[in-house]
Amino acid sequence: MSTHSRQALVMIRTNLSSLPRRLAISTSMILSVALVVCVLAGFLAMAKGFETALNGAGSPAVAVILGGGTNQETGSDIPASVIRTLDAMTGDLGVTRNADGQLVASREIVVPVDVKQTTDGAARTLALRGMDAVGPSIRDRIELSAGRFFAPGAREIVVGDRLANEFGLAVGDVIRLGAVDWTVAGHFSAQGSAFESEMWADLEAVRAAFDRQGQVQSLKLRLTDPVTLKLLQDKVTTITGTPLVVLSEADLYAAQSGRTASLIRLFGWPLALLMAVGATAGALNTMMSSVTDRTVEIATVRALGFGRLSAFLGTWVEAIVLAGAGGVLGLFASWAIFNGWQASTIGANNTSMAFQLAVTPDVLVTSGLLGLAIGILGGALPAFAATRLPLTAALRARG
Amino acid sequence: MTENIAPYIALSGVRRAYRIGGEMISIFSGLDLTIPQGDFVAVMGPSGSGKSTLLNMLAGIDSPDSGTLRIGTSRLDQMGEAARAAWRAHNMGIVFQFYNLLPMLSVAENVELPLLLKPLSRKERRIRVDKVLDLVGLAGRAKQYPALMSGGQQQRIGIARAIVSDPGLLLCDEPTGDLDRKSADEVLEMLRFLNRHLQKTIVMVTHDPQAALYARRTLHLDKGDFVEEKRAA
Ligand SMILES: Nc1ncnc2c1ncn2[C@@H]1O[C@H](COP(=O)(O)OP(=O)(O)OP(=O)(O)O)[C@@H](O)[C@H]1O
Ligand SMILES: [Mg+2]
Repeated sequence: MSTHSRQALVMIRTNLSSLPRRLAISTSMILSVALVVCVLAGFLAMAKGFETALNGAGSPAVAVILGGGTNQETGSDIPASVIRTLDAMTGDLGVTRNADGQLVASREIVVPVDVKQTTDGAARTLALRGMDAVGPSIRDRIELSAGRFFAPGAREIVVGDRLANEFGLAVGDVIRLGAVDWTVAGHFSAQGSAFESEMWADLEAVRAAFDRQGQVQSLKLRLTDPVTLKLLQDKVTTITGTPLVVLSEADLYAAQSGRTASLIRLFGWPLALLMAVGATAGALNTMMSSVTDRTVEIATVRALGFGRLSAFLGTWVEAIVLAGAGGVLGLFASWAIFNGWQASTIGANNTSMAFQLAVTPDVLVTSGLLGLAIGILGGALPAFAATRLPLTAALRARG
Repeated sequence: MTENIAPYIALSGVRRAYRIGGEMISIFSGLDLTIPQGDFVAVMGPSGSGKSTLLNMLAGIDSPDSGTLRIGTSRLDQMGEAARAAWRAHNMGIVFQFYNLLPMLSVAENVELPLLLKPLSRKERRIRVDKVLDLVGLAGRAKQYPALMSGGQQQRIGIARAIVSDPGLLLCDEPTGDLDRKSADEVLEMLRFLNRHLQKTIVMVTHDPQAALYARRTLHLDKGDFVEEKRAA
């Protein structure tokens, strides 16, 4: 070990072991860093959880056709003529056909419905999706977890596991949506994705109950392979009369999650950074008083021949250690508080979507680094001040 | 007298002034001083006469505004801050009035501090620390913490720290100023021993005429200049 690192090490050690003398102010620095880290981690976990929920919803092997020049289901409209034209198309469209050679397609509409929560009685707007009977099977990762799927034409719904949980909807329950009563036929799981925040029913039953005769908002088709999306897009562009958009289900949800997640981050980052500036000022103050507290010790070893670097590092490392401790505390708190926390927001189709906050490793790393940065920046100036202590004045003081 | 011996410490024309409340107060305006190797000098004088300032300049902690300051073959007045720190580490030991021990470190660790500046192995450092602790009569206290020890014992730790790297020069600023008579005499006895038997050159600032009697000669500092006290050897 070089004499320089030995000097630095002994300074760091004496410094850290003198921390109990500055317990109160050091603790306040740890807590303020912890708060900043916890807040940032909370926002990032929210954005991450939102993305996870929506990204999980979309499969690259499912094609979505939207009409009317929009690229989301809300406001989309597909005229019946388009569906007839598609049905009539022969040759390879890049999508699966049944044994009779007919397209396997699900015509769908989404209706926002108000449902009362069992806990507090407040109404929340949820998505009721009307679909053809093949709808569930076209999608990836959908499994029936209780009961059965809805029967054609019946006023029956299957409910996502998350909703079923949250609203206490058991199989066999009757629930009023719009003007009519619906029976819960089953529950389905979608591996925690956004679909679990939806209720699914037969297309004709939804059309009839909400006076949407003949309406189709989107068409879902099963691609033979994710790469055949291009082929389908080429075929669909030959259909004239109305602007149509063909995209994969994965892209549809990614676009939506991207917007909302960015919004959450756009709100979270400035708030966290503003708090971080405050915490950095606090760290600066804490470390300045640490230097004052250690003046005689620093001056003494400098008088013995220790270099300025050891005075700098001793102080700087103290700041980084305190910030690190705050960071760890903040991360632990954020993980304990936020991870798995249920939240809901306005998701797709202007209906409420539930998701879980996800305190993932990259959330931890990002927020932890912000905490460390507070120590690195807030400690640098006091560390520099420690190297500039006037030795004669310092040594006049009683040791 | 000592004029026939080659001077070890030589100050000539040293000026030093401090700015106090916007006014420049001159402490030294052309100080000349020589101290031969192996001397033990007591520096006395009224408070504020510049005793500590002189000692700090000798230690390279403070530096003259002008004039030359030579110790051995080194021109301290021409060295930068880092060079003076390195010079201190190798050539002198300092004993403080208030001991200036680090409370978080054990006795042995306090004494070891100056050795960390030298390329010595852990084992070599331990051997040296044990040796000086033995010399100051504190063998067996190595693992204790200084705060629990008496003033006299703490100052002996301070002396052990000052001599552990075997410097030729010892600078002591009121080393007994905070001690009772008995402890003071023990410490002074030790300094005399270091001067007589280990050939350390010692410059000691003191207010105590009894302490000055342990030195080979006494210099009185007054109004920025020295008057040597004549006394029978
Ligand atoms: N770093 C400094 N800044 C400003 N003034 C100083 C500084 N160091 C010393 N002085 C002034 O220089 C003068 C001499 O101080 P010094 O400490 O050398 O005196 P001293 O002889 O050691 O006194 P004492 O017996 O009280 O220790 C004093 O007036 C003091 O106020
Ligand atoms: Mg003094």
